[in-house]
Amino acid sequence: MSSPLLSVSGLTKRYRRGVKIIAAVDDVSFHIETGETLALAGPSGSGKSTIARLVLRLVEPDAGRIRFEGEDFLALGGAALRSRRARLQMVFQDPLAAFNPRATVARVLDDPLRVHGIASRQERPRRIAALLERVGLTPDLAPRAIHEISGGQRQRVAIARAIATKPSLIVFDEAVSALDLSVRGQILRLLLDLQREERIAYLFISHDLGVISAIAHRVVILDAGTIAESGNARAVIDAPQSAIGKALVAATPRLNRTRP
Amino acid sequence: MNPLRRFLRVPEARAGVVILAALLAMALSASLFFPGDPQAIAGPALLPPFKDWSLPLGTDRLGRDVLAELFHGARTSLAVGIAAAAAALVIGAIIGTLAGFAGGLIDELLMRTTDAFQTVPSFLLALAFVSVVGPSLGVVVAAIALGAWTGPARVARAEVLSIRERDFVAGARVTGMHPLEIAFREILPNALPPVLALSSVIVAAAILTEAALSFLGLGDPNRVTWGGMIAEGRAVLRTAPFLSIIPGIALVLTVLGVYLAGEGVVETTAVRRSLS
Repeated sequence: MSSPLLSVSGLTKRYRRGVKIIAAVDDVSFHIETGETLALAGPSGSGKSTIARLVLRLVEPDAGRIRFEGEDFLALGGAALRSRRARLQMVFQDPLAAFNPRATVARVLDDPLRVHGIASRQERPRRIAALLERVGLTPDLAPRAIHEISGGQRQRVAIARAIATKPSLIVFDEAVSALDLSVRGQILRLLLDLQREERIAYLFISHDLGVISAIAHRVVILDAGTIAESGNARAVIDAPQSAIGKALVAATPRLNRTRP
Repeated sequence: MNPLRRFLRVPEARAGVVILAALLAMALSASLFFPGDPQAIAGPALLPPFKDWSLPLGTDRLGRDVLAELFHGARTSLAVGIAAAAAALVIGAIIGTLAGFAGGLIDELLMRTTDAFQTVPSFLLALAFVSVVGPSLGVVVAAIALGAWTGPARVARAEVLSIRERDFVAGARVTGMHPLEIAFREILPNALPPVLALSSVIVAAAILTEAALSFLGLGDPNRVTWGGMIAEGRAVLRTAPFLSIIPGIALVLTVLGVYLAGEGVVETTAVRRSLS
């Protein structure tokens, strides 16, 4: 158990825009230990979401290596990749767009249990109810359509879907940005509880340093696809070294800040 | 307001539904009112309409009851129209979804095949197919569907191309779902509405194609069809024009009914979209 849960090295993704080739992610390396939260911060366009999609193999990188649970994650394909996906889950930014518009809560949670053969058909309704309770929802919500429930409830369902397959790592792509402040606090508390009890590691992508300081152990600050600085979350936020880090800290609103 | 009530408030929809309901009633009651073979001789030949009330629409050159033929012909027209349109929509939706979802070489291959089918006039294709395989109801349905699936395929592909970039498809991949399940269970149902909007046009075209094939003698010879009736009447067009006019009117009304009902559906969904 000396190697980290996830290690990413030299990750690069280039996009063509007309004749120009733009590197959305340029030689990025980081690692995450079991049960740890690493935050990726940076302004929009800094490559945070692209990194999330690369780590999940939703987009293929142009260069670099990804090792997950001791395996070369980029070498996997087809059925092997699909079965490993149980261990590496994701929660999206917009909880409405992340679900099939025709789905119900029960179907959303049924899919991972069925696809990975976690529970038999008879057993699944009970497992779905347990998952809903685990994320602080009532099981009566199961037959409701996704568009009938509130944004906060939807994001809880998304978390329930992510933990259904007992993953060791969950990627959150701006997962609390679309929620209002009181709901955001509740969701962050839920994530901290889950992490403490299940030892799940989080890769937490956000532009909001307030949220990051509440949840992350370490932080990586990105600028234009490269790493500007990284380190202990507290230390980086208290005393940022890079220009972009200073700009992000300065842009974070504080309640006690005096008006200019 | 429920969708059916809203649908029936559109005047076109009401007219279309009335026509189609009458047609459906004719098709369903054909063997009730006119049991036995509609192609059997029922009276003197070339009896004009409204002369003998046991044969209200008269008889044709061989003395067959025109009204009985009209009722039984409604069956063929509806069956062929609906079956051919359903087949075309299913084939088109599947091919369009596969092309749009798979992309790359498979997309190229499927869409160039679609192009090839689209460049051949669909009526010629149907004509060639039926004359090679031989006329029967199933072959006629297949022949019509063969020329009609390209439209639904293109629409389905365009929809799938936009839907596959949405987050919920990425979510399904993260869940570990098989690509075929993602294509047909997650994407296709969301791509269907604009594809189904084509159905009225396809049903109407299928009914007309079937009539045209029958007119040329390539319909199922064991079934009465309106196209076949018009062809029969052509030989005596000067002396007994009603033999061609009556099934002709039935054909026009049917196609009109399908179009109006389709227009009603489009209108209803447009209203719903502007409301939400």
